[in-house]
Amino acid sequence: MSQIFPRSANTISRVSIVGAVLLIGLLLGLVYELGASPWVTRQYVAREQPIQFSHERHVAGNGIDCRYCHTSVEQSRFAGIPPTKTCMNCHSQIFSNAPFLEPVRASFNSNKPLRWTRVHDLPDFVYFDHSIHVSKGVGCTTCHGQVDRMPLMWQNSTLQMAWCLDCHRNPERNVRPRSEVFSVSYQPPSSQHEVTVNGKTFTDQVEMGKALVAEYQIQKLTSCSTCHR
Amino acid sequence: MAHRWGMAVDLDRCTGCEACVTACRAENNIPTVGDLQASRGRAIHWIRVERYFEGEFPDVKVNYRPVMCQQCDAAPCEPVCPTYASHHNDEGLNAQVYNRCIGTRYCANACPYNVRFFDFFNPVWEKPMHLQLNPDVSLREVGVMEKCTFCVQRIAAGKDAAAADKREVKDGDIKPACVQGCPSKALVFGDLNDPESEVSRLAESPRGTKLLEDLGTAPKVTYLQGVEHA
Repeated sequence: MSQIFPRSANTISRVSIVGAVLLIGLLLGLVYELGASPWVTRQYVAREQPIQFSHERHVAGNGIDCRYCHTSVEQSRFAGIPPTKTCMNCHSQIFSNAPFLEPVRASFNSNKPLRWTRVHDLPDFVYFDHSIHVSKGVGCTTCHGQVDRMPLMWQNSTLQMAWCLDCHRNPERNVRPRSEVFSVSYQPPSSQHEVTVNGKTFTDQVEMGKALVAEYQIQKLTSCSTCHR
Repeated sequence: MAHRWGMAVDLDRCTGCEACVTACRAENNIPTVGDLQASRGRAIHWIRVERYFEGEFPDVKVNYRPVMCQQCDAAPCEPVCPTYASHHNDEGLNAQVYNRCIGTRYCANACPYNVRFFDFFNPVWEKPMHLQLNPDVSLREVGVMEKCTFCVQRIAAGKDAAAADKREVKDGDIKPACVQGCPSKALVFGDLNDPESEVSRLAESPRGTKLLEDLGTAPKVTYLQGVEHA
């Protein structure tokens, strides 16, 4: 009786076993990469807004502090979106007739708030608190990026849990002196750039970070119930 | 030093008014399931007031016992969870991570106190009832377990407020909804690691007992009851 399988079937079976493993690995890798890609996380995707408000113009151009508009960032979980009144503080005087700002005047006159598109939207089961991060020396630009170079706001971080945990496990890599929290021009210490805290000069972020973690009593909170409840 | 949250319940003070139950429902967005589902045992109460009758009519004495999660140190619900949704946090709470739970219900079967509840339905709040939802507590969707958290959102808020003032959390700063709502001050909440706190003092009381103590679950809720001599 002749053989059912020719000798070449051995090779085919070996290749198909290795091929199947590689294919599964490739697919898993693809899913992982896609899940962390801007296509899913919307990182670096500038959002359309009812008015094309430029943070670049207002922060870098005019030097307005973050807290002039985001008033509750130091006291509350939410940094706060300013009421139209805040816009009109200046824009009743400057560019008061610009057609570009018509929606702002309409909102102010009709007493109806502008409907901004939310850029940083965490899932509903995550409870993030701005005030505690700001008071422990996490700067605005650490998470939100160089806002002073964003004509239209985009999300600078993935906002995925791995990104949160990265800092919660190693806060010394990201903290800065409290006095620099709201600075957009702050540079972390490096061999070319010195940062002085309480009279001590640092040229290394981790070295300074460790000193600040001790001084600000920063805890490495990684228990689930810190953020999920 | 890390906190270790605990509670003391003075049964001689409890009048069985159920203010704690109402306060808990409002604080923690606990869904109501309706009478039909409740009759099938699907009602959710993170805290309940148990009634016990003593004596024969007309000489009846009613005893009340508020029962919430006992936040056991050796919690039977934790090792049975296949996804670590039910886990012990740094401050000794038996935390439940809803977004990790896959609804095996092993924890509810393991719990001897019957204080874990399964969401058989997506929660519904008819308008305008949705306006009373507490934004600090997530809504649990169908298919997950939920339970008393000792109002972990209030613990977090209390700690954040203390950190903002650059001080330690004081005894009495943090009150879960049931404790705040109790008109006869039968419920006391605090840090068991702080020897000066009221709850530490009450936990040492000779009137104190733990619920089903001999199971070895090491609960962090102490029930206080005077011994009556005939």
